[in-house]
Amino acid sequence: MSNLGEYFHTDWAAMTSSDWVGLITTVGIFILFVALFVYVLHPKNKAALESKRHIPIDEDDRFDTEDKK
Amino acid sequence: MEATQAEQKYNFEVVRWFSIMAVVYLVVGTLVGVLVASQLAWPVLNFDMAELSFGRLRPLHTNAVIFAFGGCVLMATAFYSVQRTCGVRLWSDKMAWFTFWGWNVIIVLAVITLPLGLTQGKEYAELEWPIDLLIAVVWLSYSFNFAMTIAKRKTSHIYVSNWFFLGMMVMITYLHVVNSLAIPVELFKSYSVFSGVQDAMIQWWWGHNAVGFYLTAGFLGIMYYFVPKQAGRPVFSYRLSVIHFWALMFGYVWLGAHHLQYTALPDWTGSLGAAVSLAMIIPSWGGAINGMMTLSGAWDKLRTDYILRFLIMSLAFYAMSTFEGPVMSAKTVNALSHYTDWTVGHVHSGALGWVAMVGAGALYHMVEKLWNTRMYSAALVNLHFWMATIGTVIYITAMWVSGIMQGLMWRDYDEFGTLTYTFAESVAAMHPYYAMRAIGGLIFWAGGVVMLYNVVMTVRQAVGQRSSSAAAATA
Repeated sequence: MSNLGEYFHTDWAAMTSSDWVGLITTVGIFILFVALFVYVLHPKNKAALESKRHIPIDEDDRFDTEDKK
Repeated sequence: MEATQAEQKYNFEVVRWFSIMAVVYLVVGTLVGVLVASQLAWPVLNFDMAELSFGRLRPLHTNAVIFAFGGCVLMATAFYSVQRTCGVRLWSDKMAWFTFWGWNVIIVLAVITLPLGLTQGKEYAELEWPIDLLIAVVWLSYSFNFAMTIAKRKTSHIYVSNWFFLGMMVMITYLHVVNSLAIPVELFKSYSVFSGVQDAMIQWWWGHNAVGFYLTAGFLGIMYYFVPKQAGRPVFSYRLSVIHFWALMFGYVWLGAHHLQYTALPDWTGSLGAAVSLAMIIPSWGGAINGMMTLSGAWDKLRTDYILRFLIMSLAFYAMSTFEGPVMSAKTVNALSHYTDWTVGHVHSGALGWVAMVGAGALYHMVEKLWNTRMYSAALVNLHFWMATIGTVIYITAMWVSGIMQGLMWRDYDEFGTLTYTFAESVAAMHPYYAMRAIGGLIFWAGGVVMLYNVVMTVRQAVGQRSSSAAAATA
Protein backbone atom coordinates (compact mmCIF):
# COMPACT_ATOMS: atom_id res chain seq x y z
CA MET A 1 0.00 0.00 0.00
CA SER A 2 2.82 2.37 0.85
CA ASN A 3 4.36 1.65 -2.56
CA LEU A 4 1.06 2.34 -4.24
CA GLY A 5 0.68 5.55 -2.25
CA GLU A 6 4.18 6.52 -3.29
CA TYR A 7 3.40 5.72 -6.92
CA PHE A 8 0.34 7.94 -6.96
CA HIS A 9 1.89 10.70 -4.84
CA THR A 10 1.51 14.11 -6.45
CA ASP A 11 3.29 17.29 -5.49
CA TRP A 12 0.31 19.59 -5.97
CA ALA A 13 2.37 22.67 -5.13
CA ALA A 14 4.62 21.97 -8.12
CA MET A 15 1.70 21.92 -10.61
CA THR A 16 2.09 24.61 -13.28
CA SER A 17 -0.85 26.31 -14.97
CA SER A 18 -0.30 24.04 -18.02
CA ASP A 19 -0.53 21.03 -15.72
CA TRP A 20 -3.83 22.28 -14.30
CA VAL A 21 -5.30 22.99 -17.75
CA GLY A 22 -4.31 19.51 -18.87
CA LEU A 23 -5.63 17.83 -15.73
CA ILE A 24 -8.97 19.66 -15.75
CA THR A 25 -9.47 19.07 -19.50
CA THR A 26 -8.68 15.38 -19.17
CA VAL A 27 -10.88 14.79 -16.14
CA GLY A 28 -13.65 16.85 -17.79
CA ILE A 29 -13.52 14.77 -20.95
CA PHE A 30 -13.44 11.58 -18.90
CA ILE A 31 -16.61 12.62 -17.06
CA LEU A 32 -18.29 13.47 -20.37
CA PHE A 33 -17.21 10.07 -21.60
CA VAL A 34 -18.86 8.33 -18.65
CA ALA A 35 -22.02 10.37 -19.29
CA LEU A 36 -21.95 9.24 -22.92
CA PHE A 37 -21.77 5.59 -21.90
CA VAL A 38 -24.71 6.06 -19.52
CA TYR A 39 -26.75 7.78 -22.25
CA VAL A 40 -25.94 5.30 -24.99
CA LEU A 41 -26.41 2.17 -22.89
CA HIS A 42 -29.55 3.31 -21.04
CA PRO A 43 -32.40 1.01 -22.15
CA LYS A 44 -34.81 3.91 -22.71
CA ASN A 45 -32.54 5.31 -25.45
CA LYS A 46 -32.12 2.01 -27.26
CA ALA A 47 -35.02 2.30 -29.69
CA ALA A 48 -34.23 5.90 -30.66
CA LEU A 49 -30.57 5.19 -31.30
CA GLU A 50 -31.00 1.85 -33.04
CA SER A 51 -33.59 3.31 -35.44
CA LYS A 52 -30.73 5.25 -37.06
CA ARG A 53 -28.93 2.13 -38.21
CA HIS A 54 -31.29 1.75 -41.16
CA ILE A 55 -30.26 5.06 -42.74
CA PRO A 56 -27.92 3.69 -45.45
CA ILE A 57 -30.29 0.84 -46.28
CA ASP A 58 -33.42 2.96 -46.51
CA GLU A 59 -31.83 5.97 -48.19
CA ASP A 60 -33.12 5.29 -51.69
CA ASP A 61 -36.74 4.69 -50.62
CA ARG A 62 -36.60 7.62 -48.22
CA PHE A 63 -35.44 10.06 -50.87
CA ASP A 64 -37.91 8.74 -53.42
CA THR A 65 -40.68 9.53 -50.96
CA GLU A 66 -39.26 12.97 -50.24
CA ASP A 67 -39.01 13.76 -53.94
CA LYS A 68 -42.66 12.94 -54.42
CA LYS A 69 -43.79 15.30 -51.63
CA MET B 1 -34.10 5.71 -56.73
CA GLU B 2 -33.50 5.38 -60.46
CA ALA B 3 -29.90 5.82 -61.53
CA THR B 4 -30.80 8.78 -63.75
CA GLN B 5 -32.59 10.53 -60.88
CA ALA B 6 -29.61 9.98 -58.61
CA GLU B 7 -27.32 11.27 -61.36
CA GLN B 8 -29.27 14.53 -61.55
CA LYS B 9 -29.64 14.89 -57.81
CA TYR B 10 -26.05 14.23 -56.74
CA ASN B 11 -22.59 15.17 -57.98
CA PHE B 12 -21.26 11.75 -58.92
CA GLU B 13 -18.84 12.95 -61.61
CA VAL B 14 -16.22 14.13 -59.13
CA VAL B 15 -16.64 10.87 -57.18
CA ARG B 16 -16.00 8.91 -60.39
CA TRP B 17 -12.74 10.77 -61.00
CA PHE B 18 -11.56 10.31 -57.43
CA SER B 19 -12.44 6.58 -57.67
CA ILE B 20 -10.52 6.02 -60.90
CA MET B 21 -7.50 7.92 -59.62
CA ALA B 22 -7.58 5.90 -56.39
CA VAL B 23 -7.21 2.66 -58.37
CA VAL B 24 -4.42 4.14 -60.49
CA TYR B 25 -2.56 5.33 -57.37
CA LEU B 26 -3.03 1.93 -55.73
CA VAL B 27 -1.12 0.35 -58.60
CA VAL B 28 1.55 3.09 -58.78
CA GLY B 29 2.07 3.38 -55.01
CA THR B 30 2.40 -0.36 -54.43
CA LEU B 31 4.70 -0.68 -57.48
CA VAL B 32 7.11 1.78 -55.84
CA GLY B 33 6.67 -0.25 -52.65
CA VAL B 34 7.68 -3.44 -54.44
CA LEU B 35 10.72 -1.65 -55.87
CA VAL B 36 11.91 -0.35 -52.49
CA ALA B 37 11.28 -3.75 -50.87
CA SER B 38 13.34 -5.35 -53.64
CA GLN B 39 16.10 -2.77 -53.13
CA LEU B 40 16.45 -3.95 -49.54
CA ALA B 41 16.77 -7.56 -50.71
CA TRP B 42 18.91 -6.83 -53.77
CA PRO B 43 20.76 -3.49 -53.32
CA VAL B 44 21.88 -3.50 -56.95
CA LEU B 45 18.36 -2.27 -57.76
CA ASN B 46 19.32 1.14 -56.35
CA PHE B 47 21.13 1.52 -59.73
CA ASP B 48 23.68 3.76 -58.01
CA MET B 49 21.42 6.74 -58.69
CA ALA B 50 20.43 9.07 -55.86
CA GLU B 51 16.99 9.73 -57.38
CA LEU B 52 16.18 6.01 -57.48
CA SER B 53 17.75 5.10 -54.15
CA PHE B 54 15.79 3.57 -51.27
CA GLY B 55 16.10 6.69 -49.10
CA ARG B 56 14.32 8.84 -51.67
CA LEU B 57 11.82 6.34 -53.04
CA ARG B 58 10.62 5.06 -49.66
CA PRO B 59 8.91 8.39 -48.77
CA LEU B 60 7.52 8.47 -52.32
CA HIS B 61 5.98 5.03 -51.68
CA THR B 62 4.46 6.06 -48.34
CA ASN B 63 3.14 9.35 -49.74
CA ALA B 64 1.71 7.60 -52.79
CA VAL B 65 -0.15 4.91 -50.88
CA ILE B 66 -1.26 7.04 -47.93
CA PHE B 67 -2.04 10.38 -49.52
CA ALA B 68 -2.56 9.55 -53.19
CA PHE B 69 -4.44 6.24 -52.89
CA GLY B 70 -5.79 6.72 -49.35
CA GLY B 71 -6.67 10.38 -49.97
CA CYS B 72 -8.55 9.67 -53.20
CA VAL B 73 -10.45 6.80 -51.55
CA LEU B 74 -11.40 9.01 -48.60
CA MET B 75 -12.49 11.87 -50.84
CA ALA B 76 -14.47 9.62 -53.19
CA THR B 77 -16.24 7.74 -50.39
CA ALA B 78 -16.90 10.80 -48.21
CA PHE B 79 -18.36 12.80 -51.10
CA TYR B 80 -20.41 9.77 -52.22
CA SER B 81 -21.82 8.71 -48.86
CA VAL B 82 -22.47 12.20 -47.47
CA GLN B 83 -24.70 13.00 -50.45
CA ARG B 84 -26.60 9.73 -50.17
CA THR B 85 -27.05 9.74 -46.39
CA CYS B 86 -28.01 13.41 -46.27
CA GLY B 87 -30.21 13.34 -49.39
CA VAL B 88 -28.63 16.45 -50.90
CA ARG B 89 -26.07 17.36 -53.55
CA LEU B 90 -22.60 18.50 -52.50
CA TRP B 91 -22.64 22.05 -51.16
CA SER B 92 -20.30 23.27 -53.91
CA ASP B 93 -19.46 21.44 -57.14
CA LYS B 94 -16.72 23.96 -57.94
CA MET B 95 -15.07 23.44 -54.59
CA ALA B 96 -15.24 19.66 -55.05
CA TRP B 97 -13.41 19.99 -58.37
CA PHE B 98 -10.88 22.32 -56.75
CA THR B 99 -10.29 19.57 -54.16
CA PHE B 100 -9.83 16.99 -56.91
CA TRP B 101 -7.36 18.97 -59.00
CA GLY B 102 -5.60 20.46 -55.96
CA TRP B 103 -5.04 17.01 -54.43
CA ASN B 104 -3.69 15.64 -57.70
CA VAL B 105 -1.33 18.62 -58.12
CA ILE B 106 0.02 17.86 -54.63
CA ILE B 107 0.64 14.26 -55.66
CA VAL B 108 2.48 15.37 -58.81
CA LEU B 109 4.60 17.76 -56.71
CA ALA B 110 5.43 14.89 -54.34
CA VAL B 111 6.48 12.71 -57.28
CA ILE B 112 8.83 15.49 -58.45
CA THR B 113 10.28 16.73 -55.15
CA LEU B 114 10.82 13.54 -53.15
CA PRO B 115 13.12 11.77 -55.66
CA LEU B 116 15.06 15.06 -55.91
CA GLY B 117 15.71 14.82 -52.18
CA LEU B 118 13.59 17.86 -51.25
CA THR B 119 12.25 16.80 -47.87
CA GLN B 120 11.67 17.98 -44.32
CA GLY B 121 12.77 14.56 -43.09
CA LYS B 122 9.63 14.15 -40.95
CA GLU B 123 8.04 10.75 -41.43
CA TYR B 124 4.69 10.86 -43.30
CA ALA B 125 5.15 14.67 -43.45
CA GLU B 126 8.16 14.88 -45.75
CA LEU B 127 6.83 17.42 -48.24
CA GLU B 128 8.36 20.88 -48.08
CA TRP B 129 6.58 23.97 -46.80
CA PRO B 130 4.98 25.34 -50.03
CA ILE B 131 3.36 21.93 -50.62
CA ASP B 132 2.33 21.76 -46.96
CA LEU B 133 0.50 25.08 -47.42
CA LEU B 134 -1.25 23.70 -50.50
CA ILE B 135 -2.22 20.54 -48.57
CA ALA B 136 -3.79 22.69 -45.84
CA VAL B 137 -5.82 24.71 -48.38
CA VAL B 138 -7.03 21.67 -50.36
CA TRP B 139 -7.79 19.67 -47.20
CA LEU B 140 -9.82 22.59 -45.84
CA SER B 141 -11.77 22.83 -49.12
CA TYR B 142 -12.59 19.10 -48.82
CA SER B 143 -13.59 19.44 -45.16
CA PHE B 144 -15.59 22.63 -45.60
CA ASN B 145 -17.54 21.25 -48.55
CA PHE B 146 -18.30 18.07 -46.59
CA ALA B 147 -19.39 19.99 -43.48
CA MET B 148 -21.57 22.38 -45.49
CA THR B 149 -23.22 19.44 -47.27
CA ILE B 150 -24.13 18.03 -43.86
CA ALA B 151 -25.37 21.46 -42.80
CA LYS B 152 -27.88 21.61 -45.68
CA ARG B 153 -29.04 17.98 -45.30
CA LYS B 154 -32.70 16.97 -45.58
CA THR B 155 -32.47 14.43 -42.77
CA SER B 156 -32.66 15.19 -39.08
CA HIS B 157 -29.95 12.76 -38.01
CA ILE B 158 -26.34 12.71 -39.18
CA TYR B 159 -25.45 9.08 -39.90
CA VAL B 160 -22.44 7.74 -37.98
CA SER B 161 -20.19 7.31 -41.05
CA ASN B 162 -20.30 11.09 -41.46
CA TRP B 163 -19.20 11.55 -37.85
CA PHE B 164 -16.09 9.47 -38.54
CA PHE B 165 -15.30 11.41 -41.70
CA LEU B 166 -15.83 14.74 -39.95
CA GLY B 167 -13.75 13.70 -36.92
CA MET B 168 -10.92 12.78 -39.28
CA MET B 169 -11.18 16.11 -41.11
CA VAL B 170 -11.05 18.20 -37.94
CA MET B 171 -8.17 16.26 -36.41
CA ILE B 172 -6.05 16.01 -39.57
CA THR B 173 -6.34 19.78 -40.10
CA TYR B 174 -5.13 20.37 -36.56
CA LEU B 175 -2.37 17.75 -36.71
CA HIS B 176 -1.08 18.75 -40.15
CA VAL B 177 -0.91 22.46 -39.32
CA VAL B 178 0.86 22.01 -35.97
CA ASN B 179 3.31 19.35 -37.15
CA SER B 180 4.18 21.34 -40.28
CA LEU B 181 5.00 24.60 -38.46
CA ALA B 182 8.38 25.50 -39.91
CA ILE B 183 10.62 28.44 -40.70
CA PRO B 184 11.25 28.61 -44.47
CA VAL B 185 14.79 29.56 -45.45
CA GLU B 186 14.47 28.89 -49.18
CA LEU B 187 11.72 27.94 -51.59
CA PHE B 188 12.26 24.25 -50.85
CA LYS B 189 14.07 24.31 -47.53
CA SER B 190 12.63 24.89 -44.09
CA TYR B 191 13.32 23.97 -40.48
CA SER B 192 10.75 22.82 -37.97
CA VAL B 193 9.89 25.31 -35.22
CA PHE B 194 10.25 22.44 -32.76
CA SER B 195 13.55 20.91 -31.77
CA GLY B 196 14.95 17.98 -29.84
CA VAL B 197 12.56 15.78 -27.95
CA GLN B 198 9.67 18.24 -28.45
CA ASP B 199 10.11 17.82 -32.20
CA ALA B 200 10.08 14.03 -31.77
CA MET B 201 6.95 14.21 -29.62
CA ILE B 202 5.09 16.46 -32.08
CA GLN B 203 6.26 14.26 -34.98
CA TRP B 204 4.86 11.10 -33.41
CA TRP B 205 1.76 12.84 -32.15
CA TRP B 206 1.19 13.52 -35.86
CA GLY B 207 2.61 10.18 -37.04
CA HIS B 208 0.39 8.00 -34.92
CA ASN B 209 -2.67 10.13 -35.49
CA ALA B 210 -2.13 10.02 -39.25
CA VAL B 211 -2.71 6.31 -38.67
CA GLY B 212 -5.41 6.87 -36.05
CA PHE B 213 -7.53 9.44 -37.81
CA TYR B 214 -6.62 9.39 -41.51
CA LEU B 215 -6.16 5.63 -41.93
CA THR B 216 -8.51 4.48 -39.17
CA ALA B 217 -11.30 6.96 -38.41
CA GLY B 218 -11.72 7.91 -42.07
CA PHE B 219 -11.74 4.29 -43.21
CA LEU B 220 -14.14 3.38 -40.38
CA GLY B 221 -16.45 5.98 -41.92
CA ILE B 222 -16.15 3.91 -45.09
CA MET B 223 -16.83 0.70 -43.16
CA TYR B 224 -19.96 2.05 -41.44
CA TYR B 225 -21.50 3.07 -44.75
CA PHE B 226 -20.30 0.44 -47.23
CA VAL B 227 -20.52 -2.77 -45.14
CA PRO B 228 -24.27 -2.31 -44.42
CA LYS B 229 -24.83 -1.09 -47.98
CA GLN B 230 -23.06 -4.00 -49.66
CA ALA B 231 -24.54 -6.56 -47.25
CA GLY B 232 -28.01 -5.03 -47.61
CA ARG B 233 -28.41 -5.17 -43.83
CA PRO B 234 -28.31 -2.45 -41.18
CA VAL B 235 -25.21 -2.15 -39.01
CA PHE B 236 -25.29 -4.61 -36.09
CA SER B 237 -25.50 -2.00 -33.32
CA TYR B 238 -25.83 1.74 -33.73
CA ARG B 239 -25.18 2.27 -30.02
CA LEU B 240 -21.88 0.44 -30.31
CA SER B 241 -20.95 2.64 -33.26
CA VAL B 242 -21.56 5.78 -31.15
CA ILE B 243 -19.33 4.47 -28.37
CA HIS B 244 -16.75 3.37 -30.96
CA PHE B 245 -16.66 6.88 -32.40
CA TRP B 246 -16.22 8.79 -29.15
CA ALA B 247 -13.77 6.28 -27.68
CA LEU B 248 -11.66 6.59 -30.82
CA MET B 249 -11.76 10.39 -30.76
CA PHE B 250 -10.90 10.48 -27.06
CA GLY B 251 -8.28 7.75 -27.06
CA TYR B 252 -6.20 8.03 -30.21
CA VAL B 253 -4.58 11.40 -29.49
CA TRP B 254 -2.78 9.96 -26.45
CA LEU B 255 -0.90 7.22 -28.25
CA GLY B 256 1.95 8.99 -30.07
CA ALA B 257 4.37 8.73 -27.13
CA HIS B 258 4.48 4.94 -27.43
CA HIS B 259 6.65 5.44 -30.52
CA LEU B 260 9.31 6.97 -28.29
CA GLN B 261 9.82 4.36 -25.57
CA TYR B 262 13.36 4.32 -24.16
CA THR B 263 14.23 7.76 -25.57
CA ALA B 264 14.81 11.20 -24.05
CA LEU B 265 11.04 11.60 -23.69
CA PRO B 266 9.97 11.44 -20.01
CA ASP B 267 9.34 7.82 -19.05
CA TRP B 268 5.78 8.43 -17.83
CA THR B 269 4.62 9.74 -21.22
CA GLY B 270 5.59 6.46 -22.90
CA SER B 271 3.86 4.49 -20.13
CA LEU B 272 0.72 6.62 -20.51
CA GLY B 273 0.80 6.14 -24.28
CA ALA B 274 1.10 2.37 -23.82
CA ALA B 275 -1.67 2.25 -21.20
CA VAL B 276 -4.13 4.14 -23.42
CA SER B 277 -3.02 2.01 -26.40
CA LEU B 278 -3.96 -1.15 -24.52
CA ALA B 279 -7.29 0.41 -23.51
CA MET B 280 -7.95 1.18 -27.20
CA ILE B 281 -8.24 -2.54 -27.94
CA ILE B 282 -11.75 -2.41 -26.47
CA PRO B 283 -13.33 0.18 -28.81
CA SER B 284 -11.33 -1.08 -31.78
CA TRP B 285 -12.56 -4.63 -31.33
CA GLY B 286 -16.03 -3.31 -30.58
CA GLY B 287 -16.00 -1.61 -33.98
CA ALA B 288 -14.60 -4.64 -35.78
CA ILE B 289 -17.20 -6.92 -34.20
CA ASN B 290 -19.91 -4.38 -35.03
CA GLY B 291 -18.89 -4.48 -38.70
CA MET B 292 -18.58 -8.25 -38.87
CA MET B 293 -21.81 -8.96 -36.97
CA THR B 294 -23.64 -6.83 -39.53
CA LEU B 295 -23.54 -10.05 -41.54
CA SER B 296 -25.19 -11.96 -38.70
CA GLY B 297 -27.73 -14.32 -40.25
CA ALA B 298 -26.42 -13.70 -43.75
CA TRP B 299 -22.92 -15.14 -43.68
CA ASP B 300 -23.78 -17.13 -46.81
CA LYS B 301 -23.43 -13.88 -48.78
CA LEU B 302 -19.66 -14.25 -48.44
CA ARG B 303 -19.83 -17.27 -50.76
CA THR B 304 -21.11 -15.27 -53.68
CA ASP B 305 -20.42 -11.61 -52.98
CA TYR B 306 -16.72 -11.06 -53.59
CA ILE B 307 -16.93 -7.33 -52.85
CA LEU B 308 -18.31 -8.14 -49.40
CA ARG B 309 -15.37 -10.48 -48.87
CA PHE B 310 -12.99 -7.53 -49.17
CA LEU B 311 -14.97 -5.56 -46.61
CA ILE B 312 -15.23 -8.38 -44.07
CA MET B 313 -11.64 -9.58 -44.48
CA SER B 314 -10.48 -5.99 -43.93
CA LEU B 315 -12.25 -6.04 -40.55
CA ALA B 316 -10.38 -9.21 -39.58
CA PHE B 317 -7.09 -7.43 -40.35
CA TYR B 318 -8.34 -4.32 -38.50
CA ALA B 319 -9.00 -6.43 -35.41
CA MET B 320 -5.64 -8.13 -35.72
CA SER B 321 -3.57 -4.98 -36.16
CA THR B 322 -5.42 -3.08 -33.43
CA PHE B 323 -4.50 -5.88 -31.05
CA GLU B 324 -0.92 -6.17 -32.26
CA GLY B 325 -0.24 -2.41 -32.04
CA PRO B 326 -1.10 -2.03 -28.33
CA VAL B 327 0.89 -5.17 -27.49
CA MET B 328 3.91 -3.70 -29.31
CA SER B 329 3.51 -0.41 -27.44
CA ALA B 330 3.97 -2.10 -24.04
CA LYS B 331 7.52 -1.44 -22.88
CA THR B 332 8.54 -5.08 -22.46
CA VAL B 333 7.50 -5.98 -26.00
CA ASN B 334 8.70 -2.64 -27.38
CA ALA B 335 12.21 -3.35 -26.07
CA LEU B 336 12.31 -6.23 -28.54
CA SER B 337 10.18 -4.91 -31.39
CA HIS B 338 11.24 -1.27 -31.73
CA TYR B 339 13.45 -0.41 -34.72
CA THR B 340 12.89 -3.90 -36.15
CA ASP B 341 10.92 -5.16 -39.16
CA TRP B 342 8.12 -6.27 -36.84
CA THR B 343 6.97 -2.62 -36.89
CA VAL B 344 7.03 -2.67 -40.70
CA GLY B 345 4.96 -5.88 -40.66
CA HIS B 346 2.48 -4.34 -38.21
CA VAL B 347 2.07 -1.23 -40.34
CA HIS B 348 1.43 -3.34 -43.43
CA SER B 349 -1.10 -5.62 -41.76
CA GLY B 350 -3.02 -2.40 -41.16
CA ALA B 351 -2.20 -0.74 -44.48
CA LEU B 352 -2.65 -3.69 -46.83
CA GLY B 353 -5.07 -5.80 -44.81
CA TRP B 354 -7.31 -3.07 -43.43
CA VAL B 355 -6.94 0.19 -45.39
CA ALA B 356 -6.36 -1.16 -48.90
CA MET B 357 -8.92 -3.95 -48.61
CA VAL B 358 -11.75 -1.86 -47.16
CA GLY B 359 -10.83 0.79 -49.75
CA ALA B 360 -10.95 -1.75 -52.59
CA GLY B 361 -14.32 -3.08 -51.36
CA ALA B 362 -15.77 0.43 -51.25
CA LEU B 363 -14.34 1.25 -54.69
CA TYR B 364 -15.85 -1.87 -56.27
CA HIS B 365 -19.20 -1.03 -54.65
CA MET B 366 -19.08 2.53 -55.96
CA VAL B 367 -17.94 1.57 -59.47
CA GLU B 368 -21.06 -0.58 -59.85
CA LYS B 369 -23.32 2.18 -58.51
CA LEU B 370 -21.64 5.12 -60.25
CA TRP B 371 -21.65 3.51 -63.68
CA ASN B 372 -24.93 1.69 -63.04
CA THR B 373 -23.58 -1.68 -64.09
CA ARG B 374 -22.07 -4.88 -62.73
CA MET B 375 -18.32 -5.46 -62.59
CA TYR B 376 -16.91 -6.63 -65.92
CA SER B 377 -15.69 -9.82 -64.26
CA ALA B 378 -16.76 -11.12 -60.85
CA ALA B 379 -14.07 -13.80 -61.21
CA LEU B 380 -11.41 -11.10 -61.42
CA VAL B 381 -12.78 -9.46 -58.25
CA ASN B 382 -12.40 -12.84 -56.55
CA LEU B 383 -8.89 -13.25 -58.00
CA HIS B 384 -7.96 -9.79 -56.67
CA PHE B 385 -9.34 -10.72 -53.26
CA TRP B 386 -7.17 -13.83 -53.00
CA MET B 387 -4.07 -12.08 -54.36
CA ALA B 388 -4.51 -9.25 -51.85
CA THR B 389 -5.07 -11.66 -48.96
CA ILE B 390 -2.22 -14.03 -49.84
CA GLY B 391 0.16 -11.16 -50.65
CA THR B 392 -0.59 -9.48 -47.31
CA VAL B 393 -0.17 -12.69 -45.32
CA ILE B 394 3.19 -13.48 -46.98
CA TYR B 395 4.35 -9.91 -46.37
CA ILE B 396 3.45 -9.72 -42.69
CA THR B 397 4.62 -13.24 -41.88
CA ALA B 398 8.04 -12.48 -43.39
CA MET B 399 8.26 -9.31 -41.33
CA TRP B 400 7.22 -11.02 -38.08
CA VAL B 401 9.95 -13.62 -38.44
CA SER B 402 12.50 -11.08 -39.63
CA GLY B 403 11.63 -8.54 -36.94
CA ILE B 404 11.67 -10.92 -34.00
CA MET B 405 14.92 -12.45 -35.26
CA GLN B 406 16.45 -8.97 -35.60
CA GLY B 407 15.40 -8.02 -32.08
CA LEU B 408 16.79 -11.23 -30.61
CA MET B 409 20.09 -10.93 -32.52
CA TRP B 410 20.60 -7.30 -31.49
CA ARG B 411 20.09 -7.98 -27.78
CA ASP B 412 22.07 -11.24 -27.58
CA TYR B 413 25.40 -11.10 -25.78
CA ASP B 414 27.95 -13.63 -24.57
CA GLU B 415 29.34 -14.40 -21.11
CA PHE B 416 31.81 -11.50 -21.44
CA GLY B 417 29.02 -9.01 -22.08
CA THR B 418 29.98 -8.58 -25.73
CA LEU B 419 27.33 -8.53 -28.45
CA THR B 420 27.10 -11.95 -30.09
CA TYR B 421 26.26 -10.62 -33.54
CA THR B 422 27.48 -7.63 -35.50
CA PHE B 423 24.85 -5.42 -37.14
CA ALA B 424 26.02 -6.59 -40.56
CA GLU B 425 25.40 -10.22 -39.54
CA SER B 426 21.83 -9.33 -38.59
CA VAL B 427 21.37 -7.64 -41.98
CA ALA B 428 22.67 -10.75 -43.79
CA ALA B 429 20.28 -12.95 -41.78
CA MET B 430 17.34 -10.86 -43.00
CA HIS B 431 17.92 -11.52 -46.70
CA PRO B 432 15.51 -14.47 -47.18
CA TYR B 433 12.74 -12.59 -45.41
CA TYR B 434 13.33 -9.42 -47.42
CA ALA B 435 13.04 -11.50 -50.60
CA MET B 436 9.85 -13.10 -49.24
CA ARG B 437 8.44 -9.65 -48.40
CA ALA B 438 9.16 -8.43 -51.94
CA ILE B 439 7.30 -11.48 -53.33
CA GLY B 440 4.32 -10.83 -51.02
CA GLY B 441 4.27 -7.21 -52.12
CA LEU B 442 4.52 -8.23 -55.76
CA ILE B 443 1.47 -10.49 -55.41
CA PHE B 444 -0.46 -7.67 -53.72
CA TRP B 445 0.56 -5.23 -56.47
CA ALA B 446 -0.48 -7.71 -59.19
CA GLY B 447 -3.89 -7.88 -57.49
CA GLY B 448 -4.08 -4.10 -57.87
CA VAL B 449 -3.32 -4.44 -61.59
CA VAL B 450 -6.16 -6.97 -61.89
CA MET B 451 -8.46 -4.44 -60.18
CA LEU B 452 -7.40 -1.63 -62.50
CA TYR B 453 -8.03 -3.81 -65.58
CA ASN B 454 -11.42 -4.89 -64.23
CA VAL B 455 -12.45 -1.32 -63.40
CA VAL B 456 -11.34 0.02 -66.80
CA MET B 457 -13.23 -2.76 -68.60
CA THR B 458 -16.32 -2.13 -66.42
CA VAL B 459 -16.30 1.57 -67.25
CA ARG B 460 -15.81 0.85 -70.97
CA GLN B 461 -18.64 -1.66 -70.87
CA ALA B 462 -20.95 0.83 -69.11
CA VAL B 463 -20.09 3.66 -71.49
CA GLY B 464 -20.63 1.32 -74.45
CA GLN B 465 -24.04 0.24 -73.14
CA ARG B 466 -25.02 3.87 -72.57
CA SER B 467 -23.99 4.88 -76.10
CA SER B 468 -25.92 2.01 -77.68
CA SER B 469 -29.05 2.80 -75.61
CA ALA B 470 -28.79 6.46 -76.62
CA ALA B 471 -28.41 5.46 -80.30
CA ALA B 472 -31.42 3.14 -80.03
CA ALA B 473 -33.49 5.91 -78.43
CA THR B 474 -32.54 8.35 -81.20
CA ALA B 475 -33.38 5.80 -83.90
